[in-house]
Amino acid sequence: MISRPLSVNVILGLAPIVLVIAVWQGLVSSGLAPAVLLPPPGFVFSRLLQQLVTWTFQQEIAATLTRLFAGFAIAVVLGVGMGIAAAASPAINAVVRPIVRVLAPLPKVALYPALLLLLGFGHGSKITLVAADALFPILLSTYYGASTVEQKLIWSAMAAGTPRYEILFKIVLPAAMPSILTGCRIGLVISCIVVFLAEMITSTDGLGHVLVTAARTFQAVDMFVPLITISLLGLILNGLLGAVRSYLLRGFPEA
Amino acid sequence: MKVVPSRSSEWVRPVASQKPASAIIEIDRVSQVFQTSTRKDHLALSDISLTIEEGAFVSILGPSGCGKSTLLYIVGGFVSPTSGAAKIKGQAITGPGPDRGPVFQEFALFPWKTVLGNVMYGPRQQGVRATEAEAQSRGLIEMVGLKGYENFYPKELSGGMKQRVALARTLAYHPEVLLMDEPFGALDAHTRTRLQNDLLNIWERDRKTVLFVTHSVDEAVFLSDKVVMMSKSPGRIRQVIDIDLPRPRRRNELLLDPRYQKYVVDIERMFDESDETGSPS
Amino acid sequence: MMSAAALTRRAAPALACIGLLATWQVASLALKNDSFPTAIEAIRAIPDILGDKESLINILASLRRMAIGFGIAVLVSIPLGLLMGRSRAVAAFFNPLLMVIYPVPKAALMPIIMLWLGVGDITKTLVIFLGVSLPVIYHSFEGAKAVEEKMLWSGAAMGLSAAQRLVRIVLPAALPEILTGCRTGLVLALITMITSEMIARQSGAGNILFNALDMGQYDTVFAMIIIVGAMGICLDAIFERIRARLVRWSEPQFDMPLSFS
Repeated sequence: MISRPLSVNVILGLAPIVLVIAVWQGLVSSGLAPAVLLPPPGFVFSRLLQQLVTWTFQQEIAATLTRLFAGFAIAVVLGVGMGIAAAASPAINAVVRPIVRVLAPLPKVALYPALLLLLGFGHGSKITLVAADALFPILLSTYYGASTVEQKLIWSAMAAGTPRYEILFKIVLPAAMPSILTGCRIGLVISCIVVFLAEMITSTDGLGHVLVTAARTFQAVDMFVPLITISLLGLILNGLLGAVRSYLLRGFPEA
Repeated sequence: MKVVPSRSSEWVRPVASQKPASAIIEIDRVSQVFQTSTRKDHLALSDISLTIEEGAFVSILGPSGCGKSTLLYIVGGFVSPTSGAAKIKGQAITGPGPDRGPVFQEFALFPWKTVLGNVMYGPRQQGVRATEAEAQSRGLIEMVGLKGYENFYPKELSGGMKQRVALARTLAYHPEVLLMDEPFGALDAHTRTRLQNDLLNIWERDRKTVLFVTHSVDEAVFLSDKVVMMSKSPGRIRQVIDIDLPRPRRRNELLLDPRYQKYVVDIERMFDESDETGSPS
Repeated sequence: MMSAAALTRRAAPALACIGLLATWQVASLALKNDSFPTAIEAIRAIPDILGDKESLINILASLRRMAIGFGIAVLVSIPLGLLMGRSRAVAAFFNPLLMVIYPVPKAALMPIIMLWLGVGDITKTLVIFLGVSLPVIYHSFEGAKAVEEKMLWSGAAMGLSAAQRLVRIVLPAALPEILTGCRTGLVLALITMITSEMIARQSGAGNILFNALDMGQYDTVFAMIIIVGAMGICLDAIFERIRARLVRWSEPQFDMPLSFS
């Protein structure tokens, strides 16, 4: 394979982002789009910086992050646990597999009204929705990773005197780690998306709520700010998970 | 990589006559049936009986698909035979245990552990204290010629080095029998001969019992006291040949030895006679 | 003759559905909560919704927009993904932009796009298009990237041009992966549709859900959840049939779908 110099890739990658901003600026400057509907990019970004330092906006971010992390954490614990259990035990597999087949393609967001009725309008219903949505990719990739562990790794460990139940933690879990982390990565992006949507549909705080409030009063600038914020949050969290991933998988090829 | 120095003793021991004939592994009328995807039963092993004496280096030689690896897995306790039984020191084999240490063609190293971590795994699992396990493991890593690579991950090593680590990992828990499943099959010719030499040198130190699966006639004759020839469909023992060559063996001397050449030619001819298509490469 | 094991495997998803509904029934009876109707009450309300002409038209209009959005997204995303997979320059060009867009909830763009284009079909279809595009691009990209170089060399040796190689070699070789992306995209289309209707609150299935919630018609809420859930499961099952037929030559794939909003 030919390796392209990194700087060329960076320039190539920045080009479309710069282009989007340029077209955006062009649309506003030329008067094709009125500033009320499409505020100029400079205005939006300065508004973002101005908001980021305010206490109230930080509170909104904190509310969103709390729900996001709580839901994601529940999804990781349940997903990894159930995935490993389903791969290890044919009996659990026989129960979990058909249920997952039915529930995975079900649009979880449709359950949101039911969750609101059962758990109220507070944190509980949103966290549950995030967990329900992030659960399946984590569960499925854990199951996939755990059920494709090289048989001879397990044999090697058994011959060295590892009891069967310890094999699960000492061999299957670490061997499935690349797959588990891929699932977590998908799950994390989903968590970002879902928590924002849940806050948009009904909420009194959080980034999604900021967007809805701005939309009600037709404040176009304030509609862009939470969207850019969630995009940045997604990038930062993805980067953090990437760092965790390359640490945990330092021994694995192509990690 | 360093080649491990062999023992200086030139003491030659005709294996078959001097060794006390105490059986360590007994395979008694073992058959193995697999269900294929077309739902037809495939007889992989048919009525295999074999006794392996303590301290012997025994190769199982046969074409691919003759069930030779399956036989090894049965001794390892990884696979249970459809009928018949295998015993180690008179005890029926019911599962894997640290008395039988496998070395696989695929290396099967733990990718999340370093070389040292891989080798220490067995002793730690056996309850050896960390400091002691580490000291032992470092010694073994040096013995297989990988001193300086203790903190490398398997992905950073070549195939030959990986197999050295796998051998050290298995030796670390002191198995009484080494079960080697085409261990050098994935290596290039040059690396393969170096590892054969080093394996013999290591083996000369304590002469553990070795059950060695291979499809290479040269390799089997060079390494073994006894070669078990298998034929395929169904897998059966054709013949067991004692290899009466002096030890310690040196490759450069042995290749010129007419007795060695005769063993190789005879075994190859026997395979050719049985069937044209299934002869070992 | 089908073996007992195969029969159980066939029936398992149906059994799972019945099991889930039974759990619901028991839970609602145990909780005795006014806002949590039993499964039977919810199922009874389904014919009322589907019998009502207005809501039926609403739901069908939603599905039509979903189909159009999905169709356009697939037509645009597959070629883009394949190109990205085969050209490092194209990949370097688009990847960062897609990474920035990835964590943005597409349905959240609804209010902004509504501001520009109104609340008509175009807005709703556009949002669905955006929601579907990313996974399809991503999977096409991964599929094309994994195509063996030597297959392309043989293609070039046979005299195929670059464009022909893309269509005749890369496309079929990447098809299993592309279809995995389409399957995710299909469920996503449904999710984006529902969510954007929940946010816009103008018409469609998502709107029926929240109107019923506001008016306290709880059995309608739960009946609607069953309808939407059934749509997701049916669409996925139909697509899986088609996928399995198209890529029969491919290795049996991991058969559980990955879906997300």
